[in-house]
Amino acid sequence: MTQCPECDAKVERHDKVLGEVFPCPDCGTELEVFGTNPFAVQPAPKEAEDWGE
Amino acid sequence: MSDGFRLGVFYTIVRPEEKWIFAAAESRGFPVVRIDDAEVTFGLDRPDVDADVVVNRSVSHTRSLYATRCYAHYGIPTVNLPDVVELAGDKVRSSLRLAERGIPTPRTVIALSPEAALKAIERIGYPAVLKPAVGSWGRLMAKVSSREEAEQILEHKTALASPVHSVFYVQEYVPKPDRDLRVFVVGSDAIAGMYRRSSDWRTNAARGATTERLPITDELRELAVRAAEAVGGGVLAVDLMESPQGLVVHEVNPTPEFKALTTVTGVDIAGSVVDYAIEVGRR
Repeated sequence: MTQCPECDAKVERHDKVLGEVFPCPDCGTELEVFGTNPFAVQPAPKEAEDWGE
Repeated sequence: MSDGFRLGVFYTIVRPEEKWIFAAAESRGFPVVRIDDAEVTFGLDRPDVDADVVVNRSVSHTRSLYATRCYAHYGIPTVNLPDVVELAGDKVRSSLRLAERGIPTPRTVIALSPEAALKAIERIGYPAVLKPAVGSWGRLMAKVSSREEAEQILEHKTALASPVHSVFYVQEYVPKPDRDLRVFVVGSDAIAGMYRRSSDWRTNAARGATTERLPITDELRELAVRAAEAVGGGVLAVDLMESPQGLVVHEVNPTPEFKALTTVTGVDIAGSVVDYAIEVGRR
């Protein structure tokens, strides 16, 4: 368990993997897993101009 | 069995698609080498990663271009190959190639300055669609309905300093039903398809379009595979529209998402991507 860096809500790891992006269950901020042991999250990278499919 | 074969996955963020690719490789007994596109470095002599093939899942066109070139330099094949990334990731180059291969595609005019862009828009006629040459998810696209709108949009684009915005890609607005078609091609086969429906004129799944399974007819298969092969082939999502004159291909995506497509069709797309990558890596 860790906390959302934006709203301090509790965020559980469950089966999330390194690099996974998911919304904070409370504030909806996109978060990225940057550590699994210990579990750590940071705001997900912002969409850049050349991002796409 | 893996025989020591290692599958690299070059990624920006881990979405369901990447998780499914990791799982598909591991279930086939192939260890996955995860390569974060924001962390990796490339020397001139030898790769910093030990992989027999690299599946490119980076969402950044620029990172994809340079990374696939570096892997090619090391003799590590990539899915897709650098030439495919370069061509399919650039709407100007893709349109030129589709036209060269006689694949029906919307009328397109390219301009290299705001003044010429206005001429290009008037040449296409209103409404026209202005798209960035690179990038997707429907961002920074504009439907231009009048000269006044064209002038305003071009003024805004001119204010954006990036060189990407100094290339103006203008396309006819295709009057179509409230949906477009996506066909997923792996190698020489069209493995799955879906309709994307939206009240917005942009039907990207990333913009919240609803999806529905699309049966792959012979016509669709033939056209989608031809379009994919036109840009060099590999793993590609071909986007088509139903114009009054018939099907037209408007995009061929070299790093396609497939979460919605997997959900709506039940096709194991990640498994097909991994099988194809292994085949490429063993060639």
